[in-house]
Amino acid sequence: MSQVQLQDDTVVETNRPGGQLPTNPVGQKPPGLWTTAGKKFMRNPYAVSGLIVLLFFIGIAVFADWVAPHDPAKVDFMITNLPPGTEGHVLGTDELGRDILSRLIHSSRVSMLVGFSVAFAAVVIGTLIGAISGYFGGWIDTCFMRLVDVMNSIPSLFFNILVLALFGAEFIYMILILSLTSWTSVARLVRGQFLQLREMQYVEAARAIGVSHWGIITRHLVRNAMAPIIVYATLMVGSAILSESGLSYLGLGIQPPETSWGLMLSKAQEFMLVDPLQALYPGLCILLVVLAVNFVGDGIRDAFDPRKKKKNPKRRLNKWNATSSK
Amino acid sequence: MERNILEIKNLTTCFFTDDGTVKATDRVSISVGKGQTVCLVGESGSGKSVTSLAVMRLIDYAGGFIQSGNVMFHGQDLAAKDLDEMMHIRGNKIAMIFQDPMSALNPVFTVGDQIAESLMLHQNMSQQDAFKKAIEMLRLVGIPAPEVRVKQYPHEMSGGMCQRVVIAMALACNPEMLIADEPTTALDVTVQAQILDLLRRLQKELGMSILLITHDMGVAAEMADRIAVMYAGTIVEEGTVERIFDEPRHPYTIGLLQSIPGFEGERGGELYTIQGTIPSITQLPTGCRFHPRCPHAIDKCRKEEPILREVVTGQQVACWLNEDVSNHFRNNQRANSIAGSKAEVNRQ
Amino acid sequence: MTEYLVRRVLQAVLVLFLITVVSFGLMHAAPGGPLKVMLSPGMSPEAQLIQMKNMGLDQPVYIQYMKWVGNLLKGDLGNTFKNNVPVGDILWPTVWNTFVLMSVAWGLSMLIAIPWGIYNSTKQYGLSDQIASIVAYLGFAMPTFWFGIMLQQYFAMQLNLLPLSDMYTMGKEGQVSDLILHLILPVTVLTLVNIAAYVKYTRASMLEVLEQDYIRTARAKGMKERRVIFRHALRNALIPVVTIIGLDLPTLVAGAALTESVFNWPGMGRLFVEMAVAREYSVLMSITLLISLMVIIGNLLADLIYALVDPRVQLGRKGGRAA
Repeated sequence: MSQVQLQDDTVVETNRPGGQLPTNPVGQKPPGLWTTAGKKFMRNPYAVSGLIVLLFFIGIAVFADWVAPHDPAKVDFMITNLPPGTEGHVLGTDELGRDILSRLIHSSRVSMLVGFSVAFAAVVIGTLIGAISGYFGGWIDTCFMRLVDVMNSIPSLFFNILVLALFGAEFIYMILILSLTSWTSVARLVRGQFLQLREMQYVEAARAIGVSHWGIITRHLVRNAMAPIIVYATLMVGSAILSESGLSYLGLGIQPPETSWGLMLSKAQEFMLVDPLQALYPGLCILLVVLAVNFVGDGIRDAFDPRKKKKNPKRRLNKWNATSSK
Repeated sequence: MERNILEIKNLTTCFFTDDGTVKATDRVSISVGKGQTVCLVGESGSGKSVTSLAVMRLIDYAGGFIQSGNVMFHGQDLAAKDLDEMMHIRGNKIAMIFQDPMSALNPVFTVGDQIAESLMLHQNMSQQDAFKKAIEMLRLVGIPAPEVRVKQYPHEMSGGMCQRVVIAMALACNPEMLIADEPTTALDVTVQAQILDLLRRLQKELGMSILLITHDMGVAAEMADRIAVMYAGTIVEEGTVERIFDEPRHPYTIGLLQSIPGFEGERGGELYTIQGTIPSITQLPTGCRFHPRCPHAIDKCRKEEPILREVVTGQQVACWLNEDVSNHFRNNQRANSIAGSKAEVNRQ
Repeated sequence: MTEYLVRRVLQAVLVLFLITVVSFGLMHAAPGGPLKVMLSPGMSPEAQLIQMKNMGLDQPVYIQYMKWVGNLLKGDLGNTFKNNVPVGDILWPTVWNTFVLMSVAWGLSMLIAIPWGIYNSTKQYGLSDQIASIVAYLGFAMPTFWFGIMLQQYFAMQLNLLPLSDMYTMGKEGQVSDLILHLILPVTVLTLVNIAAYVKYTRASMLEVLEQDYIRTARAKGMKERRVIFRHALRNALIPVVTIIGLDLPTLVAGAALTESVFNWPGMGRLFVEMAVAREYSVLMSITLLISLMVIIGNLLADLIYALVDPRVQLGRKGGRAA
């Protein structure tokens, strides 16, 4: 697995006596890790366009009531299955005469809410457990890691289906169970980081000057493990959105009259013969949002990865091809 | 003296980076005679390893290329050959050993497999013969119970043992030229001496030439016939081992010699260090590349880059003030002789 | 070696025990229970009690669990509440159907993805590599069931080329040619998703290996580039790839639940969804157990393969592969 290196490698040795080197202006502070990463992120066109798309969907979700042209739940049997382009209904209507565009817009709320709250909850749980496990080690670590093993032995989709089918397909249950099945990867990541970091000198130094366990965990370790956690959290937003759509498609997620992209898809499949385009839009929305989230996540990862700035393998390869086919 | 087996002439190599191509070495010239050992000495980042990779044309796989210059080997220019032709030279006529023996061996094959591989390729040996030869080679490099070792995997051996295997592998096809890139750096001091002894013995027995790359002046003193000192991608001084140790002329060489512990003969004194660090190849100073760190730099050094020229027979130096400096050095450190330095190294 | 196996089996039993306890507990903690589904609303309380006694639901949960384990050890998976059918009769055919679908999809994705990944590692950022990365991005971001629906619409509804769903056409059960036609769409969906991941793994693993010192050594020995890649790099690169793919397998089987639902494939995943809604505890427990068993066996197999191809790993010895 690629490890995000946390030391700022732009720091060069400074203040050698008499060493007036052109490479090394004395006294100038090197730019911080976060500033450098931010600049790098903004230079990445994929990451920026992903961010724009994501912000667009967040905006639509927040202002759905104002943006949507119609009430998404308004049934009108006079105008069922209107084709796209009909006046007043840009994307047409579904089998109950509800405006598809409005339903798409309102569905983005569910996706955003599920995506972000699951990612947040999973990161909180995972970081906490991973941190405790990695920091203290010993039997606490063993217990937690067995728990992670057990969690990982049940494919999460099955677990989600089981819980939602048994306890009822409530929105809050869905967020809860999705969080409970996705924290393990964060916990493993954080634990790994901690195992590595706690051996480092500055943590020993902190311990030596009497900083408390809690202080060390929050001050030193969590802050240092922050970058990979953020990357993970971003990617988790995407996978939670996908899970929600799958569960709703199976009838175990969002229940009518509420609406979500997954639910729209399962209805659209029933009416495939009548209106094949209905199945296209919700899927495209999911694809676009998840793609945007993944671009952002990859962008953050690359921005924090110091290795990326070394060589441009493309040019190197062109040269190599040129010489080898001489 | 016999004709040179390897002649590197004005070799300039570049690497691709995000900021365009960057010169890693600039007009490097070194020659190696038959049966000779030439040491290429310098700090890390000075371009020694790049030079060795360029000779093997392995630089083509590492993101770099030879921009200009020649690598003449038996009258053929290796720099102009295509990679297919190089395959017959690599491992066959010129072999190479690397710094970290543990990672230089493929973990999933037995050492016998790895030695036999080049024999089967370059000498068309059958697998059986190649294995017999592999055992022979292991015996040659002083590995006990070679019949057992040949079937073992690299992780079952110690670092020194691995380096012996790497040497056996390199010498299997009886190459005329061996390039050794820091062959002892990753090893314990006692093992280092053993490996150097082994290289010397094998050189005598097999009559090959060695280009030895090292950052350690002590190793150079022990092994070299000639020494070339590299700094920031160029050769700053070149000459026979006696000339370099007796009468170094470039301030950088002098600095390197003075920073060997115990070289100045007195104990308890402060260790000599060269101030500053080696400049990055992307930000070279103007004029002489060493002038920001040079205690004797004059105005000319900041403006014009000195070229390598012969000052006495068997010694070339690239410095604007070489006469003065070496006088200065001679007067202060008269007492030191090359014998002293060798004794110091041998004591390790 | 034997010691290692014994330890692993004991670990596996412990994990299985925990999983079954958790699932069993979860089922019985759920509000309503099977009665809600089973009993007709008009039943008298006495009749309800008798019904519960018949189903063994009046006993404490731990007794029910022990009974379940006891029967399991005798090879009895229990009967369904509805119609009282033995679970095995329902379960085993679906296991086979899932196996057919998954093995075809999995084999196909490996056959395509591994060579493709190797090729891309040697021609980084070439056209093929860029296509692969687009496929990867789409594969990771697309709801697979939506992709299935789109394929259905185009190839089954509009072009009328391929069957829309199910495993066999009515009346043609058991015909291989008919099965193949029905396999094409779901296999395409599953393969695309798998390829997206596997090409990425293979490429990354190859690239990492190609940077290693021993590859430089092989080149310094004068090996041809082809031999460097296929002999020296590939074996090292495939070790982690095979492990990851092996570990992924059960997740794939579970993930197929959605694809099976889209294409109405009579497999285990779809059965699980149906039975979860119907609260058929014995079927759910059996499937959960089966999948967990697969995970554990998959883990063990991955370790064994690892030890087989990587001489550095010695099973059962400390300092081997960190779990």
